[in-house]
Amino acid sequence: MSTVVVIGAGLAGLASASRLAEAGIDVTLVTKGLGGLQLSQGTIDILGYSPQRVTNPLAAIAPGGPLVPDSTAATGLIHPYAMIGAERVKAGVEYLAELLGESMLVGDPTRNFQLPTALGGVRPTALAAPSMAAGDVKAGDKWVIAGLRRLKDFHARLVAGNLARTTLPDGGSLQVRAVSLDLPAVKGEVDSNAVIYARACDDQGFRVRLAGELKPLLKRGEKVGLPAMLGLRDPLAWHDLSQKLGTQVFEIPLGPPSVPGLRLNDALLAHLRRLGVRLVNGNRAIGYRAEGDAVTGIEVATAGAPRVYRCDAVVYAPGGLESGAIAMDADGELSEALFGLPLARPDGELLHGRFWGAEQPVFRVGVAVDSSMRVLGPDSAPVWANLRAAGGLLGGANRIAEKSGEGIALGSAVAAADAIIEELS
Amino acid sequence: MNWPPKPSRKGSPNARTPADAAPRAADARPSAAGGRPAAKRLRATPPTTAQSGSDKAGLAFAGHELARASLDACVKCTICETQCPVMAVTPLFSGPKYAGPQGERFRHGESVDGSLDYCSSCGTCTLVCPQGVKIAELNAQARAVMKSGHMPLRDRLVSQTVLMGKVMTPLAGLANGALANPLARLALEKAVGVHRDAPLPTAQPQSFAQWWKQRGGSKPGPQGRIVFFHGCAGGYFEVETSKRAVEVLERVGYEVVVPKQGCCGLAQQSNGLFDQAAKSVLKLCDALLSTGRTPGSAKGLTIVSASGSCTGMLKREAREILGVTDDRLADVSVRVRDIMEFLLDLHEAGRLPLDFQPLEMTVPYHAPCQLKGQGMGMPALEVLRLIPGLTVVESGRACCGMAGTYGLKKEKHAIAQAVGKPLFDMVRATNPDLALCDTETCRWQLAKSSGVRTEHPIYLVHKAYGLD
Repeated sequence: MSTVVVIGAGLAGLASASRLAEAGIDVTLVTKGLGGLQLSQGTIDILGYSPQRVTNPLAAIAPGGPLVPDSTAATGLIHPYAMIGAERVKAGVEYLAELLGESMLVGDPTRNFQLPTALGGVRPTALAAPSMAAGDVKAGDKWVIAGLRRLKDFHARLVAGNLARTTLPDGGSLQVRAVSLDLPAVKGEVDSNAVIYARACDDQGFRVRLAGELKPLLKRGEKVGLPAMLGLRDPLAWHDLSQKLGTQVFEIPLGPPSVPGLRLNDALLAHLRRLGVRLVNGNRAIGYRAEGDAVTGIEVATAGAPRVYRCDAVVYAPGGLESGAIAMDADGELSEALFGLPLARPDGELLHGRFWGAEQPVFRVGVAVDSSMRVLGPDSAPVWANLRAAGGLLGGANRIAEKSGEGIALGSAVAAADAIIEELS
Repeated sequence: MNWPPKPSRKGSPNARTPADAAPRAADARPSAAGGRPAAKRLRATPPTTAQSGSDKAGLAFAGHELARASLDACVKCTICETQCPVMAVTPLFSGPKYAGPQGERFRHGESVDGSLDYCSSCGTCTLVCPQGVKIAELNAQARAVMKSGHMPLRDRLVSQTVLMGKVMTPLAGLANGALANPLARLALEKAVGVHRDAPLPTAQPQSFAQWWKQRGGSKPGPQGRIVFFHGCAGGYFEVETSKRAVEVLERVGYEVVVPKQGCCGLAQQSNGLFDQAAKSVLKLCDALLSTGRTPGSAKGLTIVSASGSCTGMLKREAREILGVTDDRLADVSVRVRDIMEFLLDLHEAGRLPLDFQPLEMTVPYHAPCQLKGQGMGMPALEVLRLIPGLTVVESGRACCGMAGTYGLKKEKHAIAQAVGKPLFDMVRATNPDLALCDTETCRWQLAKSSGVRTEHPIYLVHKAYGLD
C-alpha cells in the first residue's frame, strides 16, 4: 500500500491527510503539537482585501482578477493563487464544507460575509459557522452586543461603540448598543476563558440561565451578538439560545482560545481517526531519508530514539514564519528547518521598524511551488520529485493583510493531495 | 525574485530548540527505509557526551536546564488550556499556562502558586504545545520544589511500589481481603489520605520473578535474544500481563532474558521525591545492563516492556524531569521499546508472524497519557488491527484521571473521576465486557470506575496467537 507522510496539523495538513486517506492511501500525520487551526477564527477566508474590500473572492483570485498580478508586480514573488488557481481553491473550500456539513460551515465562495470582529471591525470572509451568519452586517439592523463580566477577552462596549461609528461596506450603518451580564461559568471562578464558557453552554441548564438573564435586557427587533462561546460539543447550542430569546443570535469570534477554531479542529481530527489516519503527535520531524530524487522516509524525534516513517510521497504543511517552520536568525538569515528548502523572498528589506505602518515583507517569505505544489529550487526544477508543500509555507502571499490563509491552505492541500493520488494510483 | 544560495540536497541543517537538542542515539530501526544511519547524514547537532554520575539530578535540577530553556518559546496561544483535562473539571487548578511558563518566570526556586499541586502530571499540555514548551516537565519540577520539606506521608507511601508488592504478595489473600473491606478503606483514608473508593492493586499469589524462576527461563529463538523489563507493577500485581508479554515474545521468535530488577522511580518522581526517583532509575539501569549484551558485541539488546509508563520514564522523563544525564541511562533509554511499539517495528520489518486466529469483537482502546507522551503515535492500535475480525475503537479522550497516583489521593479523587467520566462512558458504550489500555494504574482506574474488565493490549495478541 502507498504511504504518504503529512507533516503539520493545521488546516492544510488536516485537509490533505483527509483527502488522501479517503482515496485509500495509508496516511501518517506527523505533528509537534495541535496545529494552528484551533487558534483561528473558525471562518474560511479566501480573499478579504486586494487591497480594497472584496465581495466576490473567487472572482478576485481568478485570472483577470486584481489580486495575482498586483501582488506579483509589487513584491516580485508569484502569489500562491497563481499556481493553485481559482478552480482548485473552490474545490478545496467545497471539499471542507461538504466534509463538515452545514451544521459547521455555511456560505458561498463567490460572496463574502461581512462579519463583526471582537474589536468592532467588519471583516470579510467566505465561509463561517452558522452561529455567525446572522451577524452579516446589513444597513439599518438593530443589534445589541452582550458581554460577560467574567469573560475578559470580550468588551461589549468596545465592540458596540466601534460598530456604531463604522460606515458599512454598502454605505449604511448599524444601530448598536451594549449590555453586560454577570453569569459565572463555574461557581466561584471570576476569570473564565471562552472555552470554559463554551463547555458551560453545552449544558441546557446554563443556557436557560443565560437566556433568563439576557431576555429582559433586549428590545424589540434587536439581534443579539455574543462572544463565540455558544457550545463546544453541542453544535446547536446557539440555535437553542436563539429560540429561547425569540430573536436571532450571532457569535463574534475571539482571540485564542478560539471556540469556533477548536470546533473545526476537533471535527477534522475525529474525521481522520475514523479514516484510520496514523496520528503521530508530540515530537518534531527532524530529518529525512532520500534515494535518488525522492524522499523515502521522515525521521521523527520520538522519545528514546528517533523513528523513521517510510513514505512514497510527502505533503509538507508545517506553516510558515509564524509557526517556526521558517526561522530567522539574529543576522536576518532565513531558513527552513527540516529539508533546508530554498526560500523565495520579496525584493528589498524584509522588516521595517514602523510597526503600525505598511506590511512587513518578511511575511511573504516562503517556498515556491509548481502547479502540483512540488517545491521548486532557484532553477525552477523540483527540489524533490515527491515533496509537495501546502498552506502557510507557500511564499508570495501576505495572508494576514489579504485574509487569504484558509483559501491558500485548502487550495494547495487539494492540489497536492490530488497530484499524489494520481501519481500513486 | 531573489534567491539565497542553493542548499545542499543532501544535508538538512536541523535547527532545533534547546529542549529537542538533547542527547539521543540514532539507531537503525527495522522500519528505517534504507539510507545511511541518521547520525552520520542528517544530524547537525552532535550527540552530547553523557556526563558520568548524576551530579545535578534530583531536586537540585528542578526548575532548571532542559525544561526551563523551553519556556521562552511560549507564545501564550492557550492550546494547552483548551486541552488540559484537569482545568476542564475544576477551578482548583489554574491551568498549565499560568502554572507553567508564566509561573516559572517568577519562581527563582520558590513556589508562587499552590494550585500547582492540583496538576495531575498527565502531560497533555506538553503533548499539544506547538512550540515545544516542556510545560508538564516545568510543573513537575516546580511541584517537587514546592513540596520539599513537607512531603505528605501518604505521598511517600504510595510511591513505595516495590515494598507494597513485596509485602502484599506473600499475604495476597489477606491483603486483598483487607483492601476490599470498606471499614479498612475508611481507616486508610483517615489515617493516610488514600481515598476509600480509589482503585488499589490486587495482590497476586505469585510474583512474576517467582513464576519465571519456576518455569526455567526461555529457549533460544530464531530472532535472537531480548531483555524483558516488567517493572514493579508488572512484577507483583499485573503478573498475568507480564507472563503474556514474554509468551508473545517467545511466540514471535525471541529468547527472553529477565534480569532481577526493581522500580523505575516514576511514582516517586510524580510525587516530587526526585532524589529517590533518580536513585531508583539508575539502580534499574544497572539491573537492565547487568545482562543482555550479545556475546562479542558492544551493542546492547533491545529492552521490551509492557509497562507503558515505565518505558516513558526510561526513554525521556528521567532525563527531562529529573535531569539524570548519567551514561547508564543514556544507554538504556535508546534501547527501550514499549511491547506494542516493538511488535509494530517487527511487523514493518516483515518479521512479525501474522498467523492470528480471528477474534470477532469490538473493543475500546485507551492510549494512556504517558504512552502518548513518547510521541510514537498509537502502536497498539496498529498491531491490533492486524488481527482478523477485531475492531478496535480508540477512545479519543485525553486522560482517565488516575495519572499514576493522583486519583488515589482523597482530595483529588473527585477530580480524577470527573476527568475520566467521558472515557468511562465511552468504554461502557463500546463494549461492556472488555477494554484495553497500556498502563497499570490506568487499567485499575478504568476497571473500577467503568466496571469493565480492562487488559493490556497484549492480552488480545496473546489470545490471537492461540497462547491461552
